[in-house]
Amino acid sequence: MSGRRFYNGGFVKGIGRRSFLLKAGLVTGGIFLSGCLRKIKPNTTYKNISGSIKGPNAKAGHILRDKLPLPAPATTRKVKTLIVGGGISGLSAAWHLQKQGYNDFELLELENHTGGNAHYGSNSTSAYPLGAHYVTIANNEDTPLINFYRECGIITGFENGLPVYNEYYLCFDPEERLLINGQWQEGLVPDFGLPAADKAQVKKFFVLIEELKKAKGNDGKHAFDIPLDNSSADEKYRSLDKISFAEYLKQQGFHSAYLLWYLNYCCKDDYGQQIQKVSAWAGLHYFASRRGKAANAEPNAVLTWPEGNGWLTKQLAASVAPRIIKNNICYSLSHQSDGKLAVQVYDIAKGTSATIIADNVIMATPQFVNKKILKDVNRGVNYDAMHYSPWFIANITVKGLPQSKGAGLCWDNVAYNTPSVGYVNAGQQAISMTNGKRVLTWYLPLCDHEPRVARLAAYTRTYEQWLDMMMPELEFMHPGISDFIEHVECWIWGHGMISPAVNYIWGADRQAAKQPINNNLFFAHTDLSGISIFEEAFHQGLRAAEQVLAYNGKHANA
Amino acid sequence: MNKKLHALLLLSVFVVATCGLIYELIAGTLASYLLGDSVTQFSTIIGAYLFSMGIGSWISKYFDKNIISWFIQLELLVGLVGGTSSTILFLVFESAASFRIILYSLVGLTGILVGLEIPLLMRILKDRYEFKDLVSNIFTFDYIGALLASIIFPLLLIPYLGLVKTSYMVGMLNVAVALIVCFNFRKEIKAVAYLQTSGIICILLLLAGFVYANAITNFSESLTYNETIIYSKSTPYQRIILTKKGKVLRLFLNGNLQFSSDDEYRYHEALVHPGLQALPNAQNVLVMGGGDGLAVREILKYPNIKSVTLVDLDKGMTGLFKSNPALLALNKNSLLSPKVKVVNADAFSWLRADKQKFDFMVIDFPDPSNYSVGKLYTNSFYKLAKGALAPGGIMVVQSTSPYVAPKSFWTVDTTLRSVGLRTIPYHNNVPSFGEWGYIMATENPSYKKPDHFVPELRFITKESLDLMFYFPKDMAKVKTDVNKLNNQVLVKYFEDEWSTVL
Repeated sequence: MSGRRFYNGGFVKGIGRRSFLLKAGLVTGGIFLSGCLRKIKPNTTYKNISGSIKGPNAKAGHILRDKLPLPAPATTRKVKTLIVGGGISGLSAAWHLQKQGYNDFELLELENHTGGNAHYGSNSTSAYPLGAHYVTIANNEDTPLINFYRECGIITGFENGLPVYNEYYLCFDPEERLLINGQWQEGLVPDFGLPAADKAQVKKFFVLIEELKKAKGNDGKHAFDIPLDNSSADEKYRSLDKISFAEYLKQQGFHSAYLLWYLNYCCKDDYGQQIQKVSAWAGLHYFASRRGKAANAEPNAVLTWPEGNGWLTKQLAASVAPRIIKNNICYSLSHQSDGKLAVQVYDIAKGTSATIIADNVIMATPQFVNKKILKDVNRGVNYDAMHYSPWFIANITVKGLPQSKGAGLCWDNVAYNTPSVGYVNAGQQAISMTNGKRVLTWYLPLCDHEPRVARLAAYTRTYEQWLDMMMPELEFMHPGISDFIEHVECWIWGHGMISPAVNYIWGADRQAAKQPINNNLFFAHTDLSGISIFEEAFHQGLRAAEQVLAYNGKHANA
Repeated sequence: MNKKLHALLLLSVFVVATCGLIYELIAGTLASYLLGDSVTQFSTIIGAYLFSMGIGSWISKYFDKNIISWFIQLELLVGLVGGTSSTILFLVFESAASFRIILYSLVGLTGILVGLEIPLLMRILKDRYEFKDLVSNIFTFDYIGALLASIIFPLLLIPYLGLVKTSYMVGMLNVAVALIVCFNFRKEIKAVAYLQTSGIICILLLLAGFVYANAITNFSESLTYNETIIYSKSTPYQRIILTKKGKVLRLFLNGNLQFSSDDEYRYHEALVHPGLQALPNAQNVLVMGGGDGLAVREILKYPNIKSVTLVDLDKGMTGLFKSNPALLALNKNSLLSPKVKVVNADAFSWLRADKQKFDFMVIDFPDPSNYSVGKLYTNSFYKLAKGALAPGGIMVVQSTSPYVAPKSFWTVDTTLRSVGLRTIPYHNNVPSFGEWGYIMATENPSYKKPDHFVPELRFITKESLDLMFYFPKDMAKVKTDVNKLNNQVLVKYFEDEWSTVL
């Protein structure tokens, strides 16, 4: 319940600030102290493990946050459309413009790579995700997405009106296992060792979900759809956004600890937040919005790649690559008297600034960044209503796995009642035999404290302290695994993804933030959807691209 | 004589006796682990050991002077030889041809040394006891030690320490006896410092062995082969074990029988000839799996074949079948033929990159007992295989037992059909496997049964082929799903069906 109070705005007021400072001090102080103690009495347990902590380019981010002095723009150039941000939304916007024959655009990316939170890495064993790592098959009426999937070979054809998915991208079997009551069971929905009453509750929940999948509102639209803006406006469903998922489940009489663990796990997995801090509408959307059917796979089948959604990034970026300018950060943007936009850009690699005069701009950047860039523009947006979940991701190179009881290694491997959301086997889609060496990608949403505190705490921890958090859980999942670990690459996302807090998705702030300014400054980002999934980002990009095309009077026929 | 010394000497007898019996038990256990057939191993080891002890006792009369000093050196030697014996045996086992000689030499040496112990000890004590007390004390403690050894060895030492650590520990006990005797008789012997130093070095060496025992050998102590192992090697992908009993060679990969030299011809003739004999113009052949070269041996019986490409993951496997004389005799040097190109690569990845077409393809992978191998039985794999098949070509897939695992067998059939291939399933009896199944697949509208076969075949004739194509009721076709990368139904069927048998 503290979550609701927190999200209802108490945090914006003065008391919030003081309690934040207190909490932040306590948490980071604790971490610092334990770090000192560790130095006094070094632990040699990890002597065989190498690795380091990495993350998105913090230096670039802090240029904006700390308003560092930058050189004055030395050059000026003109472009019709400027896209700021090379995450999935920005890339999708670029991809769509190009598809419509519109080529007068540039895309700025502050990192030295595109992809946003669908970033990836690789080592001699495997490529591996550093963030988003799968999509489910597309809803069959989502024509733009299906067209994209056809174009990049994810869909290879159609049979009886249903898409045939590329069998190398459909997640290889075995897919999921859960360590519960001392055994690895197949699938993630708790089943092994559950009392009959709990099993009944699990069953009841999925009956409800089946109803909600089919449910339509009084406007004839699906109650829950992807992109979520296509969902029904019926108050019967939208009102679910005004209570937390935990509260909703309580009202519906769901009290099985196993079921609640599972639903909490799902919210952590998809939204980086716990069930108390996610709206019921978002919690249900996770289950009830996916209705994809395929000719050659189960409904809602998963598509994945060794580098996770990094693979999708590469497909989107390939066609627009010449127009992508990396290592460039937009630090200021304003309307000129002629209505055009003057965008100030700093080249991190060269250390020079430039002015870009654009007819129109798509800000494919998160709103916490726009808050800095557009500090003089009144968008009517309460930025404090937007909360971004921090994440910790570890890519663990192992030379093998100890034997365990029950189901063997799957793509997704989760343990009941642990802080993390488990690990995925990055090499699941490899067709070759392995000699046992693998990369396991371990995901930990940092949701025990409010995001600001958790973020600060995350940046305070040392490499050894992250291992201290990780190893007990891994040892619990696989006793003896420590001896198999060779390398652990840590990655911290300070702002990993937007979390769909109570009253965010159908509240006023999201609506306000989506509105163009002067009809030539457009916005595209998953934080304008409220849930950070590839499909939302893709449609965000397409929507903004369509706005640009409309502005330029070249409305596409798509 | 003081009471302390008295107790100490009897304790030495007790320890020496316990250690001696434990060495014997270690040798017997090791021999039966590694060579199989525990009755034979145990009785020959015990016999050889006791006989060697007899030799030791006989030799003891040649020790005249400085008996205490000799005894101390003897204990050090027993500790070293006995302590390291099991490690030595585990390590030389890899090059298994001379294993028995080393085993019995070590047993003999330990036996002689242990045989020397009690006579020398009796002579050290002879002036300190009356003869009847001496004999009574020594043998009482000797037999009590033997009882203790035979109880703690199976109940405590093997379960908690394992063979290798047990050897080192017992070795350290022997050295400890040497040091105790050395200390107590320091006034009666020369070169005390030398003996003490040697003792300490020995104990440190043995301690190091004890600590690093697991690193020295991770050898499984639970092998249960009935035959003599003549070769064993762990490659990055599997453990290869070759056994011999009489004239019969058997190859095991990860404990699963791959072939037995007395009936493998039935398997390999059935795998190759029904397909290849029907392709008189075939020139290029692909074999995937089958690193033993036995299918290649059959293929090379056709003079029209110009090239054979063998794709096998494991270099350890193809290397063995290119070099070991016994195996070269079995595969008739097939892998050394100039027509044969051996590629050590993962078959799935290799096939995906392959541009060449083949008239005949042999797909001879291990049974689909896990998800990694299961991928090689999916529609995705067969699509690639179909792409590599020349017009009019035939592929044949080893498809497990249609008798034991009908659902698995017919899943392979269904999966091959799902990618647009016509299938011709058949089976035969291979005594060491049981009833075994194969499936030919082709894009041809029809398959013409060959009416003659290359000479020198021992199993296949026109008549036997008719029987092979006929599936009796208990192996009749069943409806199954298609095996795909994203469902891997075959692995599940296979597990279910074979688990009821094994």
